[in-house]
Order: sequence, then structure tokens, then C-alpha cells
Amino acid sequence: MAAADAVEEAAGVADAGAETMNASCDTVGIGWRPELAAGILDHHDRIDLVEVIADDFFGEPRRVRALKTLSTQVPITLHGVGLGLASASAVETWRIERMAHLVESISPLFWSEHLAFVRADGIEIGHLAAPPRSDATVDGAAENLLRASRIVGVKPFMENIATLIEPPGSALDEASWISKILSASDCDLLLDLHNVFANGLNHGYDPKEFLRQIPAGRIRAIHIAGGKLISAPDGTQRVLDDHLHDVPDPVFDLLEEAAALSLNPLSVILERDGSYPSMESLLAEVSQARQVLARGRTRRAERVEVPG
Amino acid sequence: MSAKQFEAFLARLYVDADSRARFRANPLAEAKNAGLSNAESKALENIDWVGLEMASQSFANKRELRRPRSRFSSLTDRLLRLISFLIS
Repeated sequence: MAAADAVEEAAGVADAGAETMNASCDTVGIGWRPELAAGILDHHDRIDLVEVIADDFFGEPRRVRALKTLSTQVPITLHGVGLGLASASAVETWRIERMAHLVESISPLFWSEHLAFVRADGIEIGHLAAPPRSDATVDGAAENLLRASRIVGVKPFMENIATLIEPPGSALDEASWISKILSASDCDLLLDLHNVFANGLNHGYDPKEFLRQIPAGRIRAIHIAGGKLISAPDGTQRVLDDHLHDVPDPVFDLLEEAAALSLNPLSVILERDGSYPSMESLLAEVSQARQVLARGRTRRAERVEVPG
Repeated sequence: MSAKQFEAFLARLYVDADSRARFRANPLAEAKNAGLSNAESKALENIDWVGLEMASQSFANKRELRRPRSRFSSLTDRLLRLISFLIS
């Protein structure tokens, strides 16, 4: 489905009115994975945008040229996983410059990274870890983000991460920590709704209340995905954000909630990292996301229209 | 107090099972050996032990998964080259 068709579908569900203008700008796409490439290319008329992992293209000029060609077929966003910007330590300039070169080459719709640290004192954690949620990491993240924005020339959208452990040494709750970083850096949010869902279950908070605590005006992009419950040694269960499962209903509920809260056009990306279903199944999730977005936009419009 | 030292201490716990074992046996002493302040060391006494093990295992799995990525990347290469060829 082309973006223009998506507009019609969204607007049709959302009904007419000033607020539906936002719905008409909402876009829904899929994360580029090699296993999905053929399906994405076969159905790019039903996908508004594709999110590409930026790190796979660093220092690979031939791949970058190919990616540039792909970007003529479908709008692309670049998603980094290795900068570790939410850290008290300064991110090395050469890492940011790699992202800057790629952004310059591809001219994506936007680029994004994570509110996480991935290394410290020469130790590579290997994945996204939450630093202590403190004023020190707010300051460190803000400095890193301001420098990254200056070097790349465009501010990134920053993504909230899922955690199996409540970050030790934290003085701030997650919503306050995220809000402070966004405010200090003037960066917008890539809101990962499965991460919100997972953290809510893992750490005992209400995901919808979390959405009301973060600045809705900062939400610009959204990730949706599915994970699974894993058993903890103490007999409890926690949610692992593995991107190997269909998007669960509570995450679609959160998508509707986010669409009802935000006035910005939203770019929604469906993430899937394995156990791939048929392309039709993924496209059905894309379609469901469009319908849910439209419902949220309708609620938003009704709220605005009711005086008081 | 150093936020950088604290992050380094956490990173070591996440990647090194021996460090976790020593920390579990004597949290305060290990934290102080790493140069953390009294307040930071105290904060670590209340750490979510179950979450620490689960997160560490998850990070280990991710590091392990990185190895086959080169195969995926080469598949990406071939697909993107094919796209370039077909479009040009």
C-alpha cells in the first residue's frame, strides 16, 4: 500500500476533521532484515518506510551504494545500535562520524539510536544496557546527544529500551529520566511500545500511565514488536524483548493510546528479528497498526472537539 | 563518586560470571574495591539479583548471536547488489 493509500485507509477509519490531518501523515513500515528483503521488495507498495540497522553499513562503501539504490524504491530510516549515547562517558568522535557519513550518503527520513550504554572502560556489553537513571547520566547523555547532533547535522530520535533488571544505582524513575534527557538535548523520542509493555510487567508499573508521564509532544516514531515470557530463577516470569513473536494485543492497545496522546505525525516500524512468519502475516500486522493508529487519532479528535 | 566508574562496574558484572560471583559473595567489599563511593556501594546491596542474572544471560546470548551476523550480512550484500543490478 502506498503512503497515499495508507492515508485514505487511516482517514476513512478516523473520519473527517482537522485532527485526521495527523493520521494522514502517519506511516507504517518494517525493519529491514535480509530474510525479509524479498518480501519487502515484492510488497513495497504496501509498506510506507523501511528501517535499516545503520551499524551493518559502517565502513562498507559498496553496501552503502546498494542501500542508496534501495532508498530510491522505499523511504529509509537509519537505526543505530552501537553508539551507547546514554552514558556518563563521552562517545568517541569516530563512532559518531561513521553515523554522520552514512546519514550524509543516504539522506534518511530520520536517524535514531537508543537510550542505553553498550560499553564502559573498554568492556563491550554486547547489547543495550540501561545506565543508572541519575542526574549524572542525564548530563552525560545530553552532552553526547548534543555532540552527535552537531557532528551528524541532524538530531536523532532516541529510543527507550527494555530491561530485565531495574538499573542499579538509579535515583530517577524511567519516565522522569527519559523526559529529562529529551528536554536537555532537545531530541525527540522513538517510543518502543513493546519495551514499555515489557518494563511495565518486569518492574511493576502501568504502561499506559507511563505514556501519560512522558512528553507526548516528543513522540515522533514508534516501534512495535513481540517478545515472550521467560521464567526467572525465583519462579516469577519476566518479558524478554526478543522480536521473535507477533505483536501482542496490549502493544496494539498502547499504540492506540500513543496515537491518542500525540499531535505529531508518527512513523511506526514493525520489528521482527527471527522466527519469521509469512510476509502476508507481517503485512497484516502493518495493516492492523494503521487501523489502530486511526482509532487513536479519532479519540484524539473527539477529545479536542469536546469543550472543557 | 564517579558515574563512569559505576557504569564500568555494572558492565563488568554483566559480562563476567566470576565478577558476579565475587560480588554476590561480598557486595560491599567488591563495590569498594572497584572504587565506588559508600552511597553507590550501599545502593548495590539492594540490587535485583534475579534481574542481574537474567540480564547477564541475555547479554551473553546477544554476544553469541553476533557471530552468525556475518552470514546474514553477506546475504544482505548479495540481495542489495542484486537490487542495484536490477534497478540500474
